[in-house]
Amino acid sequence: MRLTLPALISHGRVARRIGLGPQSRINMLRNILTGLVRHERIETTAARADEVRFYAEKLVDYAKRGDTDEKAMKMATFWLTEKDLVPKLFKVLAPRFETQSTGYTRTARLPNRQNLDRAQMAVIEYKGHPFPPLYPVKQDNELTLVNQLLKGYRQQQQEESSTRPS
Amino acid sequence: MDLSDRETVCHVERKESVLTTNMMNLAAFVHSLRCSLLHIESRLLQASGLTLDKQLAPSLAVNGPRLLPQVDREDGQEEQSPGLTDGILWMAVPKKRRTIEINRTRRRDENNLLKVKNNIEPCTECGHLKQKHIMCGFCYAKVCKETALIRQQITAMEGGPLRAPAVETVVVYEGETPSELDKDKRIVERARKRPAWFS
Repeated sequence: MRLTLPALISHGRVARRIGLGPQSRINMLRNILTGLVRHERIETTAARADEVRFYAEKLVDYAKRGDTDEKAMKMATFWLTEKDLVPKLFKVLAPRFETQSTGYTRTARLPNRQNLDRAQMAVIEYKGHPFPPLYPVKQDNELTLVNQLLKGYRQQQQEESSTRPS
Repeated sequence: MDLSDRETVCHVERKESVLTTNMMNLAAFVHSLRCSLLHIESRLLQASGLTLDKQLAPSLAVNGPRLLPQVDREDGQEEQSPGLTDGILWMAVPKKRRTIEINRTRRRDENNLLKVKNNIEPCTECGHLKQKHIMCGFCYAKVCKETALIRQQITAMEGGPLRAPAVETVVVYEGETPSELDKDKRIVERARKRPAWFS
């Protein structure tokens, strides 16, 4: 009977263990979230990025309540360790995501870190940031042959439809 | 007499130890050293005349610790370290040499071999190889570099730590003017042409 098996099986528990304990986990996530709000795109280990995602989106939901709301301000002051980001959260991030209800963040996995630990890395960012996008937006080139032919065909159709009634 | 008996016994043992020092183990060697030391001490005492003889009675007897170390006479040599010798007997040890056939089957077992990855493909943008579910390292490094330069400009504009403004930011390249929508935003200027991959 293998005695180490229970140590590897979670027995249905889904909570991730980060850092030295639950308090350490919250403190670490707080630091990562502060960095994310300041820089709007950060690169961490995949597990931490995944954990912080939930807290980042919840923080924006609280910020949407407005800075006059007592609970929202308490949450913001707790989660953001650098206090010059509290006005940024309420005046920049909350209005940015007014129209959206969910999905304020985007994560992408990166190649493993080049250190000895070869940790799985991920990048997490708030949508609508001013920096270059991770995946460049593909813009169709109008000068390709197929696009030119399609353009000519569309023009022809328009001319036919305009001349037919007359 | 106690002293003479001890002397003779020590003398005999010393002779034995002197002959067979190289072959005996450390304990026996130490034992023999101890014996010789005692012998020398007793001889010195006799010569100096400070020994307790029947003729001279002690002027003052004090209750205190022993001046000379007493040699414990054992029948056999006590074990060097009983734990180690006992331990060697119950340690796990292979009974037989593993044959090459058994070794081969273990080494070539499927679980132990390296798995072939079939999720590697070239990136459509740059052509470097990447895994399907992971971003291209080269493209990300390219984006990182440009972001770092933009961030340098931002820190220069802010002038110090903890001065994040409560307004949006917009990056403007050479030859561009900020549009109507970017009126209230903080404008970060980059002294280069807009890269093709940054729309």
